[in-house]
Amino acid sequence: MSNRIITPVAEFEDLLPDDYKDLINNGPFFEKKSIEDLGSFKEIIDDHPHCAGCGVALGIRLVAAALPSPEDTLIVGTPGCSFFGLSQTALNYSTTAFGNQNAVASGLKRMLKIRYPERTKDVVVVVGDGGIADIGLDLTLHSWFRGEKISTIMVDNEVYGNTGGQESGMSRQGKVLNMAPNGKLFPKLPIFDMAKISGCVYAARVTVASPAKVGMTVRKAIFLAREVGPTYVQIYTPCPTNLKFPPNQTLNIAKEAEKDYYSYEELMTPEAKDYLENNLK
Amino acid sequence: MYVKVRVDEKKCVGCKLCIFACPDPNVLTYTENKKVSADENRCKGCGLCVSSCPKGALIIS
Ligand SMILES: Cc1ncc(C[n+]2csc(CCOP(=O)(O)OP(=O)(O)O)c2C)c(N)n1
Ligand code: SF4
Ligand code: SF4
Ligand SMILES: [Mg+2]
Repeated sequence: MSNRIITPVAEFEDLLPDDYKDLINNGPFFEKKSIEDLGSFKEIIDDHPHCAGCGVALGIRLVAAALPSPEDTLIVGTPGCSFFGLSQTALNYSTTAFGNQNAVASGLKRMLKIRYPERTKDVVVVVGDGGIADIGLDLTLHSWFRGEKISTIMVDNEVYGNTGGQESGMSRQGKVLNMAPNGKLFPKLPIFDMAKISGCVYAARVTVASPAKVGMTVRKAIFLAREVGPTYVQIYTPCPTNLKFPPNQTLNIAKEAEKDYYSYEELMTPEAKDYLENNLK
Repeated sequence: MYVKVRVDEKKCVGCKLCIFACPDPNVLTYTENKKVSADENRCKGCGLCVSSCPKGALIIS
């Protein structure tokens, strides 16, 4: 996990695929990169099998570009569409049994602190709405209650995308899905509001239609998790395949949601605010 | 049918909005002459870049 590890030794350079060499020469590892620089460097995610127009894929791409130190970041995932893209990144990535992500991430963070006392390692959970709001809810909340210094990022497509369209706790009330033919019977779970009363020092709600905000909130969340406490970012990443809209409408759907129930919101404790004022630029 | 994006260099002003809209990595890149160019082999033809371009510089065909 040091910069040296990803740099090929001269003897092996010829043998490595061009894609890999491209990543070393033009990747985000050695200079500070951000979402504004996208298009000017080789992204750590390479080809992935997400559907055309996938909001989750866009969300992952923006999160990956916003990481403050990708070479020292460990992404923890769980089953869901998000692991298509994430497992094809050049990031350190670990998957977990469905829903266990925050428990595994807590352990990894503690272990990395012991193993690398001199170096800051960011442990960032990136998983779907079903992974956090349903199966992983208890482990997520408990990691927040315990004050684990990890960031949790939800890529919320309001459905179980990966398994063909079951309702998730984050689906909207009344939403008809492939495997919820009568429409969902209860409202979207208030995970964002739960984050602030469960120990998160920072919580933000954004959509993929506002890439600069995604970048800013992800960076803040990762910085704060280094020193202050658990953080949470919830990103609306609409799924054209299961929410049944044309793939060129993903951003319009997200923009409409911003005007309605997915407005931008950012909450932090006074301690987190002080930390950001003193440490972020 | 195979669809892919094309960039009309004359219309592109290099605002990069399409680069922030594409779900697929390393498809749209920002070139030295401050325009966007597309790797057609990687494009999935979703059209999100087209919907984000204020200048109508992108075409899916
Ligand atoms: C313990 C367990 N139960 C069920 C599954 C099947 N499964 C895989 S992904 C998934 C749903 C994921 O939904 P979400 O977290 O919203 O991610 P998305 O695919 O929508 O991005 C389910 C139920 C599993 N892999 N493991
Ligand atoms: S099913 Fe939905 S979330 Fe999954 S890859 Fe396709 S568009 Fe993305
Ligand atoms: S059509 Fe979709 S995949 Fe192709 S360049 Fe545009 S946004 Fe990217
Ligand atoms: Mg989902």
